Amino acid sequence: MINDKLARKILNTLLRSGGDFSEIYIQKKINNSIRLEDSKIDDSSSGFDLGCGLRLIFGESTFYAYIDSLQKDKLINAAKVLSSAASSKSNIKILNLTSSSSSYDVNIKKYPHNVFQENKRDILLVVDKTARDYSKNIIQVTSNLSDSEDEIFIANSEGISSSEKVVKVFLTINVVVKKGREVRTGYKSIAKTCGYEAFEIKKPSEITKEACKIAIRMLDAESAPVGSIPVVIGPAFGGVIFHEACGHGLEADAIIKDASVFKGKLEKKIANSIVTAIDDSTMPYHWGSYKYDGEGHQSKKNVLIKNGMLKNYIFDLKTSKKLKKLQTGNGRRQSFRHIPMPRMSNTYIENCEENPKSIIKSVNKGIYAKEFAGGQVDPATGDFVFGISEGYLIEKGSITFPIKGATLIGNGPEVLMRIEAIGNDLDFAPGFCGKGGQSVSNEVGQPTILVSRLTVGGTKI
Amino acid sequence: MQNHKSIKIKNGMVDVCKNAAALINKKSIDEYEIYAVNSIQNEIEIFNSNVDKLSFSDSTGIGIRVFRNGSIGYSYTAILESDSIEDCIEKAIINSRITNREEYNSLPKENEFIYKQKVIKKELLYRDDILKFSTADKIEVAKKLEILTKEKDKRIVSIDNLIYEDSLSEVAILNSYGFCDTFKTTTSFIYVNAISRQKGSISTGDYFSYCRSPKDFNLEDIAAEAVKKSVSLLGGKKVKTQRCDLVLDPLVASQFLGIIAGTLTADSVQKGKSLFKDRIDNKIFTIDLNIFDDGTMPDGLATAPFDGEGVPGGKTTVFKNGVLKTFLYNTYTARKDNKYSTGNAARASYRSTPGVGLSNFYISPSRENNFEELIKSIDKGFFVSDIIGLHSGTNPISGEISVGAKGLWIEKGSLGFPVKEVTIASDILSFCSSIDKIGNDIKFLPSGGYIGSPSIVIRDIAVGGS
Repeated sequence: MINDKLARKILNTLLRSGGDFSEIYIQKKINNSIRLEDSKIDDSSSGFDLGCGLRLIFGESTFYAYIDSLQKDKLINAAKVLSSAASSKSNIKILNLTSSSSSYDVNIKKYPHNVFQENKRDILLVVDKTARDYSKNIIQVTSNLSDSEDEIFIANSEGISSSEKVVKVFLTINVVVKKGREVRTGYKSIAKTCGYEAFEIKKPSEITKEACKIAIRMLDAESAPVGSIPVVIGPAFGGVIFHEACGHGLEADAIIKDASVFKGKLEKKIANSIVTAIDDSTMPYHWGSYKYDGEGHQSKKNVLIKNGMLKNYIFDLKTSKKLKKLQTGNGRRQSFRHIPMPRMSNTYIENCEENPKSIIKSVNKGIYAKEFAGGQVDPATGDFVFGISEGYLIEKGSITFPIKGATLIGNGPEVLMRIEAIGNDLDFAPGFCGKGGQSVSNEVGQPTILVSRLTVGGTKI
Repeated sequence: MQNHKSIKIKNGMVDVCKNAAALINKKSIDEYEIYAVNSIQNEIEIFNSNVDKLSFSDSTGIGIRVFRNGSIGYSYTAILESDSIEDCIEKAIINSRITNREEYNSLPKENEFIYKQKVIKKELLYRDDILKFSTADKIEVAKKLEILTKEKDKRIVSIDNLIYEDSLSEVAILNSYGFCDTFKTTTSFIYVNAISRQKGSISTGDYFSYCRSPKDFNLEDIAAEAVKKSVSLLGGKKVKTQRCDLVLDPLVASQFLGIIAGTLTADSVQKGKSLFKDRIDNKIFTIDLNIFDDGTMPDGLATAPFDGEGVPGGKTTVFKNGVLKTFLYNTYTARKDNKYSTGNAARASYRSTPGVGLSNFYISPSRENNFEELIKSIDKGFFVSDIIGLHSGTNPISGEISVGAKGLWIEKGSLGFPVKEVTIASDILSFCSSIDKIGNDIKFLPSGGYIGSPSIVIRDIAVGGS
């Protein structure tokens, strides 16, 4: 996108008044999104972004600027302005840039720019028809289809450069059902780091039916119980519990700011010994995967917890230097407008051997939380909350009736110790994670797990 | 570092619109609208008396809406060279090929405006004195807040987040019907999160301020509020599961109000996603509450001379004496309901089309009850100072509410021990009808619009604990 000579010139200009590290991040992004609601396409939008983010690290400080342009004069000028933030002599001089390498490799078959707008529309029309045919209780179907094609070039004063093309597609399905005065919703999505072939592997009509099924079942939901009881958390999106309650506390910026309960716990037991947890950005086509992170480092598989022992944190470049550890390929950013920080990619609890059915059977009175509406955590205390969007009561080892309006509330470190059983049905679910005003693509994952005790917040006392 | 002093804010968004308009081939479309924004932003993060992050940007983007045979297409670009703009126009036209045709899809016309455009004093939106603050001055402001917060209480062990942000923006809209206008705004924001520890107990408390200029920050107050929230909850414990009365802090009440407000837009009503559908003229609140959406409120951060499609806003009475009077409209939804637009066309940025949103949306505070009097009126209850999991725990469509809460227990009219890790649950309609008293202490929170509420008392709510 720019040649090596100009990249070197910018990197050197950034460091001309001192500094420890300089970086240039260039991004070109083309995106499209189409929305269906009321059985009509009510929005179709496209966007074009092209720009450059410049970063200078000087001691403990990060200085950042971005411009919506790749014009040489503007880039050099922005680098000069930014360099004035430092004030010492730099002895770093960038002579050569070497391309990074990564084993992550994907084969894109149907690039979004090769798919006709009418064919994209048809995907949404199929979703709408499938849902409306599923039940006459369906009163609304909202579906969003978006795609993006990114080109990213990164070069830094350590002499490395990387370039990558990223293609992503994302389909969300929300259905609303009504019976009498009862209104319920169901949600499912398909999100892949690849082209439109994603919808040939996972059929939009199939997941539409799943969303409808959730909403219809929840129509008969009774008020959720209140109190501290055993909770079986379902596979795939159930992994949001680990992501929220533990994952964020393992991000190294929280450790440095003394805002994590996992500070000083490396090589210590933080979870029941059946728990192994991993962050892996190398899984091909997964929503949270990439070839290079937002700092040009190759993606990696990073074991966070092994048999209950804390093995590693999640690092970007700056935090890894500060804590004198190896970076883990987790320096991520939303776009060229954002400063990278340590972020999860695809984070999951590893499979064990137990059959999910026998896990449910082992519970006398508790709840089965299958799908969640999302969650929130205070990493400093580990306190978390997440909302159950599909949940059931377990009585004498069997799932009995659906429950509505329930929230799980607890404390991350306590829950990790209370995971008493782990199933063999590991699965993943995609989403977006927000932190520090930036949103990046993530997957969460886990098999079915049993937490011996968690506070359920319903209305039935 | 470049200072605002040396940046001349360009008076150029109207010109940007005009340049783009000149590239549109009027033969291939019926109508068009160009929305342009320039925004200069600064962000500073302080950690341990040091500048942890400092960033600045100056960017401009345009969004183009084209209307063809009753269909709309949209496209945006952040690159303003002619070929990029031409490409943007072309993509908007391609998008209009697949969107639904409707008779309501056309630009707003002047005879449809319900509110006359009010003259809003320029200095209410845009403060020159922000330009006098250099980057070094802003760093000083942020560092001062860190010190003030740390010094307030020796149990404060870390400030893990201290953020200062400001922006100067200029917005312009030009449409083929003849509308062409522009306005400028400044905002500055400061936020602190204080971590406190005592005997193995950890607690966090945050506070913030949004103003038109950093000159208006009351740093002492911000530090005091964050510290109070943090240390008052040290040693917090669960309470027994029970039903009791709640007093919600104004900022907690504002968060709930924001969720409710989102379902009062005509868009969610028309699409069958609002509990308030078919409830116009129904008494929703038991007490005589008045709730307004006022796009022209003098000190409102959402105040603007016109909305996201160039329609002037005004003071809309959404609830009068607890009775629902109207929904909020943009041009499209108004035409559909045979009403007038209330000037609530909202755009998050130039990247999106105008939907229906909130402006300054607030519960009109009581003249009498101050916070202490509200607490005094509770025999046994829970003062909620903070909630978490609002967006995952509420479903505005079905109305379910279940969130995590912390705060102080109330016994016989006074505040007692700290409570944490409990849930509060209800549903939107019961929540509204259970409100029993409101205070005189209104506070605002930017969330969608600029949402304001006083402290409120709600009777008989389920609290989940041990």
